[in-house]
Amino acid sequence: MPRPATVPMANDDPPWLSLKMREAMEAWLFLGPTLAGFLIFFAGPLVAVVGYSMTEWNLLSQQSTFVGLKNYSHALTENPDFWLVVRNSAIFALGLVPANMALALALAIALSRPFRGVVVFRTVFFAPVVTSAAAWAIVWKFLLQGEAGFVNQMLAYVGIAGPNWLREPNWAMVAVIATRVIKMVGLNMILYIAALQAIPRDYEAAARLEGASSWQIFTGITWPLLGPTTLVIMVITTIGSFKVFDHIYLMTGGGPENGTLVLAFAIYEQGFKFFNVGYASALAMIMFVIVMGLTLVQLAVRRRDT
Amino acid sequence: MSEFLTPRRLALISRICWTSALCVVAIPFLFPFLWMITSGVKSAAEIFGAPSLIPRHWQWHNYVEVFTYQPFARQYFNSLYISLSVTVLTLLFASLAGYALARMRFAGAAMVGLFLVSALMVPEEVTIIPNFFLMKWLGLIDTHVPLILLPVFGPHGIVATFLMRQYFMALPKELEEAGRMDGLSRLGVWWQVAIPLSKPALAAVAIITFLHSWNLFLEPLIFVSSLEKFTLPLALTNFTDPYGVPLWHLQLAATSLAVVPILIVYLIAQRQIIESFALSGVKG
Amino acid sequence: MASLTLRGITKRFGRTEVIRGVDLDVKDGEFVVFVGPSGCGKSTLLRMIAGLEDISGGELRLDGRLMNEVQPAKRGVAMVFQSYALYPHLTVRDNMAFGLKVRGVSLPDRLKQVEAAADTLKLGALLDRYPRELSGGQRQRVAIGRAIVGEPQVFLFDEPLSNLDAELRVHMRSEIAALHKRLGTTMIYVTHDQIEAMTLADRIVVLRDGLVEQVGTPRELYENPFNLFVAQFIGSPKMNILPVAAVRLPAPAGAVKVGLRPEDLRIVAPGAGVVDGTVVHAEYTGAASLVHVGLDGGETCLVVCQGDGPGDGARVGLGCEVGRVRWFGDSGQAVSQS
Repeated sequence: MPRPATVPMANDDPPWLSLKMREAMEAWLFLGPTLAGFLIFFAGPLVAVVGYSMTEWNLLSQQSTFVGLKNYSHALTENPDFWLVVRNSAIFALGLVPANMALALALAIALSRPFRGVVVFRTVFFAPVVTSAAAWAIVWKFLLQGEAGFVNQMLAYVGIAGPNWLREPNWAMVAVIATRVIKMVGLNMILYIAALQAIPRDYEAAARLEGASSWQIFTGITWPLLGPTTLVIMVITTIGSFKVFDHIYLMTGGGPENGTLVLAFAIYEQGFKFFNVGYASALAMIMFVIVMGLTLVQLAVRRRDT
Repeated sequence: MSEFLTPRRLALISRICWTSALCVVAIPFLFPFLWMITSGVKSAAEIFGAPSLIPRHWQWHNYVEVFTYQPFARQYFNSLYISLSVTVLTLLFASLAGYALARMRFAGAAMVGLFLVSALMVPEEVTIIPNFFLMKWLGLIDTHVPLILLPVFGPHGIVATFLMRQYFMALPKELEEAGRMDGLSRLGVWWQVAIPLSKPALAAVAIITFLHSWNLFLEPLIFVSSLEKFTLPLALTNFTDPYGVPLWHLQLAATSLAVVPILIVYLIAQRQIIESFALSGVKG
Repeated sequence: MASLTLRGITKRFGRTEVIRGVDLDVKDGEFVVFVGPSGCGKSTLLRMIAGLEDISGGELRLDGRLMNEVQPAKRGVAMVFQSYALYPHLTVRDNMAFGLKVRGVSLPDRLKQVEAAADTLKLGALLDRYPRELSGGQRQRVAIGRAIVGEPQVFLFDEPLSNLDAELRVHMRSEIAALHKRLGTTMIYVTHDQIEAMTLADRIVVLRDGLVEQVGTPRELYENPFNLFVAQFIGSPKMNILPVAAVRLPAPAGAVKVGLRPEDLRIVAPGAGVVDGTVVHAEYTGAASLVHVGLDGGETCLVVCQGDGPGDGARVGLGCEVGRVRWFGDSGQAVSQS
């Protein structure tokens, strides 16, 4: 019986690659570009930055000498700026994360149920997220100018003499945190909304039938069920707070009096302004350890909970 | 009194209170945009005069000056083409790698996944110094190559890879097997079956990637030095007089030009855009 | 059309061996059904024949040609998937023509072959629709149409009816049987439903834990199961298995268990049959009743009884023709009467 022409038949010689080897080879080809990029632009530089952090290397002198852990010990024991950076970064994170999360949760609760205009509010609260940090910082820098700034002029109307926000160290930190919260809170808000909407409505209905108040429902049901989301949001937001650079660069330039000099900015300043490659790399390593630590904590807690 | 406060009226009052509260909270979110747009057509003097939203004198000339003060059109184009390149390359590489991780069996798959996950833990700031020297060695300083390659292969590209992997894993496997029975190669299955079915994931990755690249600041600041190679965020900071004092009116006009198109797209596709971020946030 | 030979086929996922050495000969034009409980490896075996899973050991031959390392599309087999696997972004016509297009068949030929296949399955009116616009039964038919369009030498069906409702399943079952008669192509069909297996198969392959328990015609499996597993798997309701001591019958040497099919038992006066008991509960199903009888030894025995059965609590005896009784040894193997 003639074979149909549409079905090609294999010849009897076994092919030079088995199906299994062929699949593996194809998988490596699919992964090729990503893996190559990973090695060249990530793994290599990560090893390099460890090396750099153990050298004294000033770009201007074009000389690098191996100094072991001196950059680290110098930072920890002698350099007063280092502890300032640590303090500033900690204040920034401690100010930003709770404010961001509390506001995000409040907005999410208000906007997680449909009502007329809910989409408008969501759109408004999320709009700063899609806006470039540069634009956001530029506009707020104007709004927060000393006397002529819009914010202070508004405050003057109600009889408050506003500070020169970006020129006084403590107020500068407050201003930078507040504007950053407004910029990024929309992201956490939608994560919370998604989590709230994933909670079955039956739980609340059952609790209501048993006579629970709204507050009891929130503390007894909603908040515990949001636990995993809260953890993820907390870690993402904390990591994000250590990475903030453009916002600081454009609003305060790390000032005044180094009052907003945070880790990411210090890495940039040491590396690309003062050309202290070794010290900047040591700071980068510290950032790496902090971020990795936070991520591992998150993974550990998540594993414990599941 | 109790007759007045029927449950229905009570609900109405509480809704009005809620809505008013939300409106008040919305002010610092919305006002900067309004102020930016209207101040872009004010004179420098008026911006810091008595506070007002509506310009007394509409200085449309600002928008002409934005383009003559520095090569702003060129900078605008730079941002556009760099962001598009980053988006296309990220979609391509992330969907290829994500597909291999989701569907293909090979020794070392778990190891590769673990390696890539580790990249998620490391911010760009950590590796920026060695990457600077790498680019310098390759002679790519003051070109756009680093601005394209680093986001594609950086943590953001890895996030995109895992988003694609997640989506591919949820696709019905039998469809792809049917493709193989029909005679497609692996690449054919990826391109003709998996990719057409993954449009929602591809759209989400495209949106977050484009915005990520469009808004990038640190990388352009470090890698690019000539004016005509600036990207938008960097160009915005450059509207200053020779002493470094900002030319406020120009800066705000330029910022409006940079932000408003994105906002318009956002308003049209807000649902899709917000969902894309929700997806990547849950993952990352 | 082609014959199929499996020799010592094995499959390992990591350290676990899911197919543990299968030998099988499928004749040209035969309809063979793989049946077994979930996890027995029947789908894996089918997918290995298709080329979707690589073969860890042994030989797979199609018409004598070694197929182990041949790409799925080059084996000359077509598969109908459990979920139908129709491309949602293509019309029915394009779904059916897709494989031909990939193989480089010209457009006029493609259209001709699709039309021919559509005629066979009465799909003509659906050709321009998308899969989401079809009912479950129509999707099923398109999936079969896609398989026949390439004129494969072997059809593979992976539980094709399990997503259909009961009525449609019976209908499609007969359509598949008719299709096999018309095309005369070798077909291999996987199911966990023994009724499907019995009605469709020329021969049934019963699988358990990656091993073939028995191969035979439906009648052979029903009448002469090799072991307890096959005896209980084939036939509905399940065969009653009792200890040899529970029945008043002369057991052959080596037998420890006795198997009595519910449909072979009949209700007699206490003491007149092979075993006595009390009716616990009777289920009336229309044509027959299923009577649960609690035996005096403590076991429960199911009896199919024409018309109404005796009332609950009645003392009964159960009778059976000696020729219908099956005996099994201590490792479950069948022990013959003689």
